[in-house]
Amino acid sequence: MAASSLRSDPRLVYLILLLVVTVPVLTHAVISVPITPTTRALYDFIQNLPPNSLVVESFDYATSVVPELHPQAIVVTQHIFLRPLKVLFVAQDPNGPPLADAVLDTINKGNKSYGVDYANLGYIPNTATLIGMPSNIAQFLPLDTRGNPTASLPIIKEFPAAKDAALVITFDDDGSALYSYLQYWQGSFNIAVAVGATATVAPGFMPFYSSGQLVGILISIRGAAEYESLLNQQYNCCLGISGASSAMVALSASHLLIVAMVVFGNAAYFISRRTSKREK
Amino acid sequence: MSSDKKKMTRGELGLQVIIFSLGFFYAIVYYVAVPGTVNLQAVSDQLLAYLTAVLTAAFAIGVINLTRVHVNNIKRKRATWRYSVILIICLFAMAIFSMIASPFALDPRATVIPAGVIAFSTPIWEFLYYKILVNINSTIFSLLAFFIASAAYRAFKARSLESTILLVAGLLVILGQAPVVDLVWPGFGAIRDWILAFPNTAGQRGILIGAALGILVFSVRRLFRYPWGD
Repeated sequence: MAASSLRSDPRLVYLILLLVVTVPVLTHAVISVPITPTTRALYDFIQNLPPNSLVVESFDYATSVVPELHPQAIVVTQHIFLRPLKVLFVAQDPNGPPLADAVLDTINKGNKSYGVDYANLGYIPNTATLIGMPSNIAQFLPLDTRGNPTASLPIIKEFPAAKDAALVITFDDDGSALYSYLQYWQGSFNIAVAVGATATVAPGFMPFYSSGQLVGILISIRGAAEYESLLNQQYNCCLGISGASSAMVALSASHLLIVAMVVFGNAAYFISRRTSKREK
Repeated sequence: MSSDKKKMTRGELGLQVIIFSLGFFYAIVYYVAVPGTVNLQAVSDQLLAYLTAVLTAAFAIGVINLTRVHVNNIKRKRATWRYSVILIICLFAMAIFSMIASPFALDPRATVIPAGVIAFSTPIWEFLYYKILVNINSTIFSLLAFFIASAAYRAFKARSLESTILLVAGLLVILGQAPVVDLVWPGFGAIRDWILAFPNTAGQRGILIGAALGILVFSVRRLFRYPWGD
């Protein structure tokens, strides 16, 4: 009875979902998050990079998945800025360059300066550019997003080719950017690759993690919360910087609601099947 | 060879020669380090730079096409012409402000465009992008949660052995992904990790290898004249 009324009018479920998501977010309830191996692996890799290594961060997500991937980008960038590393921001999605700027506005940049320690090189318009960058960055991306000639930036003078990068991490909402980096940057130049992914596409990346092609995976907003927790443990900072930690209660509650709905739907299905069998 | 097979025209033949030559050239550069006076990698990089220009021009064609279609809609007062007006306004407003004040700005150092225009446009662009575009897209994507909640009791049914296995595996991964559950019993996290690392990886590898073989076969057929029009 209840199942059939829910099937015809799901508004009650929508209301419950709305409540279980909004109440924890509004109350800023925080719980500790167990660290998954894929997150730990990425954190350890960045933590153990030699000083002055180059990291390339690729913002390859659309604005629709900002709630899921932007917190990941914030915590990873903060970690890189806490360490003596250099970082180049690029994007295979046209939405990426402004999102990279938004991340830079959010984090604590310390005493690092633009052009010397980091630079936003903007949008990689096509595969041709991506293939060319490991040989010569300035030839394929001649200007940064601020209009500076890329070749004039101290960071590019120090690292003129992307093949010098110790790590490229892509925040990827569909896998296309990751596959490009694996194919053209890791396959040809043996550059370490990591990915921050949405929960829906992350399982598809596990073969690359198992084979050692990926040094780590951040899975959904939970990955960001785990990373935030690791940063807090090591540097005693950054808790709440991305907003991921305060979303964990809402995430748990919504997941439990989905499980409850599946159990409820199946119980109703079996009861109705048994009833119809008896009637026959 | 079947008699009804179409013969290549001279233009198609010329195009096929270009396709084969470039494809073969890139395969050689990718797989073989050829020593010599000519730096093949440099030639390859230069060709890729030309390709960038060609592909970028394709975006302009897209904008022209979109504009033509929607301007025609407006001129002929088709049923959805009002949406076409909104689309044209949004397309060009966003494009113009992006070209003046964004990471894609044509003249970020204000050498041609007056600095005052850039200063005026920057907050407008930031509002359009960060306050409208990001929030609208995130909101629409978030609606997925409501569909999944609704589908959870409508569609995810244990109707057969296979669907039961899928359902149980899915539920265990969902439980393992919920931090509260993981804290109550860490076993859920371990089960989720095992499902992702082993059964999931095995299945994904099969799909990946199958797709890669398909791409390889298609590429080889394309290089050696895959029949035009088929």
